[in-house]
Amino acid sequence: MSRLTPSAPLLFAALAWAVEPVSFSRDVLPILSENCLSCHGPDESHRKADLRLDTFEGATAENDGVRAVVPGDPARSDLIARIVSQDPDEVMPPPKSHKPRLKPEEVDILRRWIAEGAKWGKHWAFEPPVKRQVEGHPVDAFIRARLAKEGLKPSPQAPAHVLVRRVHLDLTGLPPTPEEASAFLNDKAPGAYERMVDRALASPHYGERLAMWWLDAARYADTDGFQSDSTRNNWPWRDWVVDAFNRNLPYDRFTLEQFAGDLLPGATPEQKLATAFHRNHMTNGEGGRDPEESRVDYVIDRVNTVGSTWLGLTLACCQCHSHKFDPVSQSEYYSLTAFFNSIDEDGKAGGGARPFMPYQSPFAARALDEAKALIEAAKPAEAAARKTAEAPFADWLRQATERVAGGHASWRPIKAETLETAEGTVLTQEPDFAVQASGPHPNQDEYRFITTPRGRRVAGLRLEVLPHPSHTDGALSRGKDGEFLLTDLKVQVRTRGNSLIRDIALDSAVADVGADKKKNGNYGDVKDTLDDDPRNGWTTIGADKKAPHTAVYRLAEPLTLGADEEMIIELRQRSTLGDRNIGRFRLSVTDEAGPAVASVGVTPLERLAKVTGAADPKLREDLFSQFLADHRPYREARAALDRAQRDFDDIKARAGKVNVMVLAERKQPRDTFVLVRGVWDKHGDKVGRDAPAAVLPWPQDLPKDRAGLARWITAKENPLAARVAVNHLWQLLFSNGIVRSVEDFGLQGERPSHPELLDWLAVDFRENGWDIKRLLRLIVTSETYRQDSSVTPALLAKDPDNRFLARGSRYRLPSWMLRDAALRASGLLHPVLGGPPVRPHQPDGVWEELFMGRFKYESSEGPAQYRRTLYAFWRRSIAPTFLFDTAQRRTCEVRLPRTNTPLQALTLMNDATFLEASQALAAGALKRSGDATRIQFLYRSVLTREANDREAALIGSTLMKARETYRADPAAAVKFLDVGQRRIPAGVDPAELAAWTLVASLVLNLDETITHE
Amino acid sequence: MDPFSLHRRTFVQQAGLSLGAMAFGSLAARAAAESPKPGLPSLPHHAAKAKRVIFLTQSGGPSQIELFDHKPGLAELAGTELPESVRRGQRLTTMTSNQRQLIKPGATRFERCGKSGATIGEWLPHLRKIADDLCFIKSMHTDQINHAPAMTQFLTGNQIPGRPSIGSWASYGLGSENKDLPDYLVLLSRMQRPSDQPLYDHYWGSGFLPSRHQGVKLRSAKDPVLYLRDPEGLPRGLRREMLDGLAELNRGTLERTGDPEVATRIRQYEMAFRMQASVPELTDLSDEPDEVFELYGPDSRRPGSYAANCILARRLIERGVRFIQLFHPDWDHHSRLTSWCTARCRDTDQPSAALVTDLKRRGLLDDTLVVWGGEFGRGVAGQGKWDSPEAGRDHHPRCFTMWMAGGGVKAGHTHGSTDEFSYNVATDPVHVRDLHATVLHLLGVDHERFTYRHQGLDFRLTGVEPAKIVKGILG
Repeated sequence: MSRLTPSAPLLFAALAWAVEPVSFSRDVLPILSENCLSCHGPDESHRKADLRLDTFEGATAENDGVRAVVPGDPARSDLIARIVSQDPDEVMPPPKSHKPRLKPEEVDILRRWIAEGAKWGKHWAFEPPVKRQVEGHPVDAFIRARLAKEGLKPSPQAPAHVLVRRVHLDLTGLPPTPEEASAFLNDKAPGAYERMVDRALASPHYGERLAMWWLDAARYADTDGFQSDSTRNNWPWRDWVVDAFNRNLPYDRFTLEQFAGDLLPGATPEQKLATAFHRNHMTNGEGGRDPEESRVDYVIDRVNTVGSTWLGLTLACCQCHSHKFDPVSQSEYYSLTAFFNSIDEDGKAGGGARPFMPYQSPFAARALDEAKALIEAAKPAEAAARKTAEAPFADWLRQATERVAGGHASWRPIKAETLETAEGTVLTQEPDFAVQASGPHPNQDEYRFITTPRGRRVAGLRLEVLPHPSHTDGALSRGKDGEFLLTDLKVQVRTRGNSLIRDIALDSAVADVGADKKKNGNYGDVKDTLDDDPRNGWTTIGADKKAPHTAVYRLAEPLTLGADEEMIIELRQRSTLGDRNIGRFRLSVTDEAGPAVASVGVTPLERLAKVTGAADPKLREDLFSQFLADHRPYREARAALDRAQRDFDDIKARAGKVNVMVLAERKQPRDTFVLVRGVWDKHGDKVGRDAPAAVLPWPQDLPKDRAGLARWITAKENPLAARVAVNHLWQLLFSNGIVRSVEDFGLQGERPSHPELLDWLAVDFRENGWDIKRLLRLIVTSETYRQDSSVTPALLAKDPDNRFLARGSRYRLPSWMLRDAALRASGLLHPVLGGPPVRPHQPDGVWEELFMGRFKYESSEGPAQYRRTLYAFWRRSIAPTFLFDTAQRRTCEVRLPRTNTPLQALTLMNDATFLEASQALAAGALKRSGDATRIQFLYRSVLTREANDREAALIGSTLMKARETYRADPAAAVKFLDVGQRRIPAGVDPAELAAWTLVASLVLNLDETITHE
Repeated sequence: MDPFSLHRRTFVQQAGLSLGAMAFGSLAARAAAESPKPGLPSLPHHAAKAKRVIFLTQSGGPSQIELFDHKPGLAELAGTELPESVRRGQRLTTMTSNQRQLIKPGATRFERCGKSGATIGEWLPHLRKIADDLCFIKSMHTDQINHAPAMTQFLTGNQIPGRPSIGSWASYGLGSENKDLPDYLVLLSRMQRPSDQPLYDHYWGSGFLPSRHQGVKLRSAKDPVLYLRDPEGLPRGLRREMLDGLAELNRGTLERTGDPEVATRIRQYEMAFRMQASVPELTDLSDEPDEVFELYGPDSRRPGSYAANCILARRLIERGVRFIQLFHPDWDHHSRLTSWCTARCRDTDQPSAALVTDLKRRGLLDDTLVVWGGEFGRGVAGQGKWDSPEAGRDHHPRCFTMWMAGGGVKAGHTHGSTDEFSYNVATDPVHVRDLHATVLHLLGVDHERFTYRHQGLDFRLTGVEPAKIVKGILG
């Protein structure tokens, strides 16, 4: 977790004041901001006592005969009198604000500042950055100057294997391959380090690594969010980002194209594609929502994102009121929204979220080919499995033919052990197994039929609704019109002596007839009895009500009851109007799978019983289907083909032109208003397009459109953009920015730990064409970056957060990087670029439980499973489960938490991807001979170094235990190895592979493995 | 605890490869013994009336008109247009903004229940029996009219996702007495149909608070917590061996780097190991006696049901978990009120009442606060043809009913009232933020002083608008 330390500016202030004159921006403004400005700041609506302390004029003005600040005279300055007052009615900040009293050193700073003439200035971030001349490497020069002041010394350079790992992780998000590592470790010529850096920067994975940062800021996701959370197709923009970083598109140009690619003369499709940045916000398609309210939300989200990402300003505050601390008024805020307020959009989500650009991704063909190859591989396997099944089928058919020869009934009526009802209907089972309702006639009821159908398994259930003379008109129920209405049917199993029940899933329902839903208040279809929703269900209104009607239910998996188990079949009749409880019914079961339980009527075996001689081809085919439905080898082959087909269909739908959400101006611009208290339809004053003057007044020559806004941001005179960008990139390398509050350079943000360094880098970045690779190269070639990251107790005590950088940064890698690194180290990584999103392993049922079954997560097959996390499908309402401390991708996030929890340990130990990677590593180790060599192989693959003797001994000790366990229980080994797409290679001893898999998993869980050292 | 001294001590003691579970056990025990009281040192601000909270969240907007807010006068006005003097420009969703607002009287019969005479509709027969344990607030109101923004405000104080939920605030401020379970647990009802309103995980998110304070969802699946279960074929004893080896190697890293995070990581892997035992034991209800299932109703035998989750909530309370939140979806009856709303009542009535009863008989209700409610109420006008069985009600933010029970609230009490249309609050309005202030107050927390610095601002659950503690319900 990156710690927020509110008192940090004061810490620096306190360190500084003893030796230097008071600086307004460094020492005074933080105190005023923290304690005074929420009531005496730029926000007029909340200003107290008409006193304003954020301007010189305000602070020195006479107010009721007193002046808050009298330059040169602390004794006459009311500000001082009030902050030291002991009178609760006088003291500032007032007790009811719950702010603590100012500390004596803060009072002293204010007093000295007034005594020194109360010199006013701007907040540091609004002053233009200055590039000071330095000797040597600029990063080292500034860092070391500060270290010297603190009496600290830099740490020595980290070992070579740490450096090559650090650089590759930082610049490509992947650990080095053995080749990449040895290219550096064996390069003894001068400049080896720089050459290694250049190779990493030239890697196509560089663009992927930077894109992960940018996607978080851009709140990129593959779905809309909110209620419908529909899938969108903005992923070609994600590939544009990767490509832009890889071709090192200058940051100002990168900015311009994302703001206004569509407005550029002769805009290419890719430039238009870039503008999807500003469409990556959530979209709300909730029924009943006013689309205009949503549209206003989107406009506001764009401005807030610009604030956090480019300007380091928490503009969101201004939605409701002028900023309490920073000099941005509410009206200026809405002037910024005006740039985004005339997009040709209408606030809708999903397919209505225009403007779109139809775009065909150049990366889709590869994905399609891969999916096609999977189908091509699965098809012959399925055909072979079908063919192999023919021999056992012939046996089965022969036996079945003999068995049914004397006549056959597939369905066996069942007897109830107990009959219960919820509302009082009396149920009685008669000798023909029919259950008759009598006695009380409640409006609605639930019938519970408890039975123990012994012996054979249950593959399906048949419900016959029967007419009876005791019913109205001799029809199907005792209700007014003699009709019945079944809202839901449930099957459950209960074990005697165990208090819990389990639901048995039914996956299909068919009936001889169903009513027209439109004419019968949404009631009619028997399928609707599966969904536990009383607002729909099965009725046969419109069909003959004096005839029996039949429904057949198929169990998702055939069920065999244990000796102590009973089955509960519940008929729920809870329709809106009621009065249609079934009058008479019969339940039957069958153990026949396939077509027998997928249709009403004569089953294949019943047909077989009636034929003499050979079955006709159609019947034979039906019988074969029934056989295959129960034939496990075929079912597995078939499931693999179905999965391949599903992936193929999904990718095919995205391989052609897809609709990417982009920016386009509408013909008639909309008027923009201040929204009173931020409420979307409470219009205040009309405003035009403009930017906050305190940052930089709008230059005359810029057009007032999105392109102009992008140019305003990256204008030479804009004090923020280059600093903010440099700070982002610094954070990528050191885990913290020079300004730790990356998103907030304002008065309430943290002050830079090394302001002159930040300025130097910012100016240098801008002067050198906003060249990102150049900047990164500059930083990582510093000695500061190359320091060892270990720490002594003394240094830890002096600088626990490593603000002074007397050591390298040591922190747990982002979770996405951990997954990618495991794939890379194990050799599983499929390192191709771009294309439609993929679905890495995720535990079953996670989407289903959040959406109550509306979305189902099915992990990708084949090489697509092993793509980098960048390409993982991102559902806005639930981020991929294997990630932690991640951006949520709902709104812009530029700084992520870093926690250390047991849930992370569980993920790294048990997630299927990490288990697959462990097994692949183990398989690699087993190709070497001898335990010692294999252990070194694991360490080299994962940590880019050899294990020392102690480590090798410890690993060896765990290996022994694992080996003993799996040799004693080879079946456990096979189970342990059954994960994802792993297959035990021919000729490999499962016990040995399992033991090494566990050891590989241990190595992947090492603190050193998951840490940036 | 100083990670260095810990680590040195252990190293001196165990200068070999044999450091096993025993040493970890004692290490964990020491960590627990040495750790100060949970939560922030500055909390509580005052003595807490409630130590723990169970929030029974009814998602979708239950109808106060059918369930609690009895308006007998509406029968005479059935089918007449809602007077503008009552409606006063109330915004409608686009689902009903184009139709006339014709009054649909409540569909249920009411009874005055218990000594307190609380009005409870006939669809909640079990709740009627415990009316004297409950404290009703009939004058709740909110600002939002659509589900996601309203629920987000209801749980985080702000309609825009990204703020910490109330449970996260409780976890951050007060921590939990139980070191083997998270402070804040979330239980979703497993439904058998796709729900109309998804439950976003930001509802129990920690926003800008450290993510260890976010609600941890207990699932009714083989893995009650994601990734909890070791893979099949990995015996527990071997996992122990693996963790011992891992810890020993990590101690080497700690020695080499001096990074205290390594010590924390060793502890977290141990906690993970303990959770692998404690969580399944917690979620397996099969050791509950039959009479408990009879109390909570037949659905409680089905793992994942609201009723089973109510039993689980009680078990969590027994284990000292600070904040437990249940979510039951599909209270959004725009149409077919009678079949749809009654279905939800059947799901929740008996178990909710049973939970209160069960806590009470175990002596846990005195310091446990139970809160029942949804993100808004429903309007008096019929949606669709008002007198058709197909009719329902649209969302209504201006008034709705909640109930509480236990820790620090008056039993057998009704607070606030609405006008004769159940449309506007008539007396003692309680805004969502007032509810938040009150829940925090009962937990011993002053909502004005309980802040978190983020992006330079001091945030609090109750936001910037004034919020008041609902003194009228305090027992």
